[in-house]
Amino acid sequence: MTKLIIRRLIWTIPVILLVIFMTFILMRQIAGNPFRTSERAIPVEIQRNLERKFGLDKPWYEQYWQYVQNVATFDLGPSLVLRNRDVNDIVKEHFKVSLELGALSFLFAFFFGVLIGALSGLRANSWVDYTAMFVSNVGYALPSFLVATLLIYFFALQWDVGLPTSGWDTWQSKILPVIALGLAPMAAFARLVRGTMLETLQQDYIRTARAKGLRWRRVVGLHVLRNSMIPVITAAGPTLGFLITGSFVIEQIFAIPGIGRYYVTAVTARDYSVVMGLTVLLAIIVILANMVVDILYGFLDPRTRDART
Amino acid sequence: MRTKTLWLWLALLVTGLALVAAGCGGDDDEGGDAAGTGATTDGGGTKAANQEITINWGTEPPSLDPGLASDTTSAAILLNIMDPLVLLDEDNQPQPSLAESWDISEDGKTVTYHLRSDGKWTNGDPVTAEDFEYSWKRTISPDLAADYAYQFYGIVGAQEYNGCEKSCDALADKVGVNAVDDQTLEVKLTSAQPWFVQQSAHTSFLAVHKATVEQFGSKWTEAANIVTNGPFKLESWQHNNSIDLVKNEEWRDADSISLTRVNGRMIEDATTSVQAYEAGEIDVNPNLPTEEIARIKETDDYEKYTSLGTYYYGFNMKNITDVNQRRAMSLAINRREIIDNVAQEDQLPTTGFTPEGMPGFDAINPESKWLPENGDMEQAKQLMEQVQNPKTNITLLLNDAPGHRDIAVAVQAAWEELGIKTTIKTQEWAQFLEFIGPPPDKSVDVFRFGWIGDYVDAINFLELWTCESGNNSTNYCNEELDRLVDKARATADNDARYELYAQIEQIMLGDDGDMPIAPIYWYTSSYQERDSIRETFSESLLGQVDLRGVEVRE
Amino acid sequence: MIIDPREAPTPTIAGDVVSPDGTGSAGAPLRQSNLWRDAWRRYIRNRAALAAGVVFILMLLFVIVWPIISPYDPNEIDFSARSQPPSLEHPFGTDTFGRDLMTRAAVGGRVSIGIGFAATIAILLIGVTYGSISGFVGGRLDNGMMRVLDALYGLPYLPFAIIVTQIFGNVTFWTMVVALSIVSWFTTARIVRGQVITLKENDYIRAARAVGARWHRVLGRHVLPNTLGVLIIAIFLELPGVILGEAILSFIGLGISPPDASWGQMANEGRAAYRTSPHIIAVPSIMIATLILSANFIADGLRDALDPRTRET
Repeated sequence: MTKLIIRRLIWTIPVILLVIFMTFILMRQIAGNPFRTSERAIPVEIQRNLERKFGLDKPWYEQYWQYVQNVATFDLGPSLVLRNRDVNDIVKEHFKVSLELGALSFLFAFFFGVLIGALSGLRANSWVDYTAMFVSNVGYALPSFLVATLLIYFFALQWDVGLPTSGWDTWQSKILPVIALGLAPMAAFARLVRGTMLETLQQDYIRTARAKGLRWRRVVGLHVLRNSMIPVITAAGPTLGFLITGSFVIEQIFAIPGIGRYYVTAVTARDYSVVMGLTVLLAIIVILANMVVDILYGFLDPRTRDART
Repeated sequence: MRTKTLWLWLALLVTGLALVAAGCGGDDDEGGDAAGTGATTDGGGTKAANQEITINWGTEPPSLDPGLASDTTSAAILLNIMDPLVLLDEDNQPQPSLAESWDISEDGKTVTYHLRSDGKWTNGDPVTAEDFEYSWKRTISPDLAADYAYQFYGIVGAQEYNGCEKSCDALADKVGVNAVDDQTLEVKLTSAQPWFVQQSAHTSFLAVHKATVEQFGSKWTEAANIVTNGPFKLESWQHNNSIDLVKNEEWRDADSISLTRVNGRMIEDATTSVQAYEAGEIDVNPNLPTEEIARIKETDDYEKYTSLGTYYYGFNMKNITDVNQRRAMSLAINRREIIDNVAQEDQLPTTGFTPEGMPGFDAINPESKWLPENGDMEQAKQLMEQVQNPKTNITLLLNDAPGHRDIAVAVQAAWEELGIKTTIKTQEWAQFLEFIGPPPDKSVDVFRFGWIGDYVDAINFLELWTCESGNNSTNYCNEELDRLVDKARATADNDARYELYAQIEQIMLGDDGDMPIAPIYWYTSSYQERDSIRETFSESLLGQVDLRGVEVRE
Repeated sequence: MIIDPREAPTPTIAGDVVSPDGTGSAGAPLRQSNLWRDAWRRYIRNRAALAAGVVFILMLLFVIVWPIISPYDPNEIDFSARSQPPSLEHPFGTDTFGRDLMTRAAVGGRVSIGIGFAATIAILLIGVTYGSISGFVGGRLDNGMMRVLDALYGLPYLPFAIIVTQIFGNVTFWTMVVALSIVSWFTTARIVRGQVITLKENDYIRAARAVGARWHRVLGRHVLPNTLGVLIIAIFLELPGVILGEAILSFIGLGISPPDASWGQMANEGRAAYRTSPHIIAVPSIMIATLILSANFIADGLRDALDPRTRET
């Protein structure tokens, strides 16, 4: 097992280099001048100055190599568009916001997802099941920008329950965005748990346990629930990654100063250093998260250990 | 049974959350609640006790360094935390601010500013002419690579210094900005530029505090480090989140400032901004989605300001070669219908390029017959028939900001009646800018664009159309126009200059004009404002919000 | 859907080699059609899945047929009739340009569902190919391919979808399909690889190979039919993600070029008018939600109908 972990860890280095390379090439494929932010064209001298200042006048392989060196020393460089900020600063200030948003949404999704899924699974094909599944799926099936707008409209504007429309400072301001972001994964988890639960409930060993007279609660708690967790945990890795990186819509609508907003803005503005820096950071996180999930999976379900080379 | 427990658990949780939400709702108000929140007033005019407001800046300013700031948000904040040499009044004439007076030499090539002696930085240092010399040269320097360095090209030696590649220090000394003494700043221009003093109201001409810049480098604008000299201080800056200003009690004219505190949010999404305003969280909202304007106009919160800006469709003259086709395409556009039904902000239909509100407008405006307010489909069709080889498959290029698509759809339908099939291409901003160059990509036949004025003189708008202009993406080149622009630059007398401007407009959009573009409307700015500040709050023609005069009233 | 344990055990999908009474290939074709019929019967008994299936087919009919018979042109602008709520004349109302929403919903549905299916199929093609090669060949190639996949996982979804759309310079139907599929096939590849690996070790597969069956026969007769069910289910599972992804790109402003619309684009356009004319955003959102919900229930029903108990995990 340890050998497995070490091997996977060693492999992350070339993987990250590959990520950097792919991002680098892709970003250079799209036309765009990071320095021309407004309609005004930039006079030639100024354009030259800027390119020289940021090293963009060098050939691409030199730029790439410089960048790799920067990453290795954890110096992600200055932003090309936000002239008074370094990528490191941006990461330090905004990443924790996205992390908090993602983590809270994940907890929300996990807790309620498992709850609803378990309820549905235990009461399969009853009205409880159908209603619970339907309601949870509605949150998933409606586009997130609509759900967010409606949540703000009702809970922050129409009904006076003390929730603000936007921002991320007081704990009240965190409720609506967490719900908006967490509804979709919640529905996904609920379905997963329900499905596996149904499967497991049919297994022979469950019937045996019941026949043996074991208390139902113990049976459910010990065997059924634990097995149902497996697909949830498999889905957890990418979900967590998605929650942290894919929260742009929620951050934009709720005016949350997170990484998602910076990311999309940086791509549109061709802020190469921010895009590269954030990609590297997020890639590391996602890769590590996937690795952890794989290992956990191996623990939980020994059958798959061989397949997980 | 297990299920029952689960239900109980769920019920408890939901009840608990509801209680918590309801319970804590009452006492926890958002910070920066303004005096005018929720209360309806008649704007009677008594000064309120609470002089705090919350504003929506809209987006994060890319930089608060006057040398680097090139967008309206940064400019809006800088205007209020710094002390410019001059300020523009409602007629856009320069009024003394930090400069109490100025002289212009006979030949118009030397401008001398006389500074007040009571200007002060927030750390106690006095503001001197050396600060301005240092700051202007810094902005012009090639190291800073400032976007707006070109604003200084009218100064002797500036363009050379800015374009220098190495050993540039010698060139710095040759730049025509000189602090004769602590209170006197002498500027030498390459030619007579009558608008120069007006132009120096722009944020790139602000002074920065040398010691602070040298100590903190690129981080000098952070709230903890920044040193300013204006009526408000930057109290806190949480990036992409908020910028709060407080009154600078040490400012030379602090008694004239009513506001004690300005909290600023950064809500980019227009729908959320309106929700925040209507929930009472902000007092001023400049960020309105077009679709809500009709509804907001019915409320008491709506306010409209004119802006100096032109929204236009540019033609790629190499692709649409026949001037009659260009004229026809312009005639087909029903500007009134677009303004009323699509753009909906009571914009002004264009009758020329230079916007209304520009000094000399009445003389300059050509009242072009190719820009009828309601369009003229009849004549458009007739003109189209005269076109030899009409281009009937057109690509219209837009950038992806909201609003442009809708206008494009309306125009697309209009052009269809002329037998032109329009394909609308949307690109994001940076890609779009690359495509329109100049020179524009050959796949681009028509593109959408807008030009907002930097300063209040029509040269700002008309010099875009010279052959070499970096902002002319139409492949339009008319030497007569170039000649007139150069002549205008050298003409000090206003009326004579307006006459030249009128000729330029005629060349472009007159009866025999070349029609390189089809202007559509002149910008306006829509706001939601509380009654309590309505009387004193306004946005200038250049899109600036001067908080000096704002007062919260009962 | 609970499988009644009193039912007799049904044959595996690849009924060729392993069957209860031990007959060989001779009995195979008959057995397979029986299997699908069994699955069909089981599917119909699942009320939710049945309803969802009906709804889905009705939607398909709507988007295909309605634009043909509708009296309105989906792109015809009529400002005098703008933003009207649903009425007899316009059952879904009109949008801010006065265009009939029912017709636009149908036309938009063609685009959305079209993109949905096209992208989903693309995702499956790429994912299956990648995953099966990786799983089947195994060894160092597998390891390498998996590490590349890890790297691709690290690229965040939205920014890269944006980058891909911009490489094309314009957002059309096919640009969307490519952009959405390129950033979404990774999980499919992983799952398929896992499947292929376990199947590889499966008894009947090993038996087939031991008997000397060639690899394409093994693939064609044994592996693929087994995974076919999974693939069909996968289509209905990926569909929602693609449709929502397209809605998100529209939110940024990179939606389908006008005047064509997709549901995502219509929802985005209608969002700002939600206070005064909620029907403009309600129509496309309900369409999207209905499609996604029915796809989900269909996927569940299919999965249950194809008898998960005998599928190897």
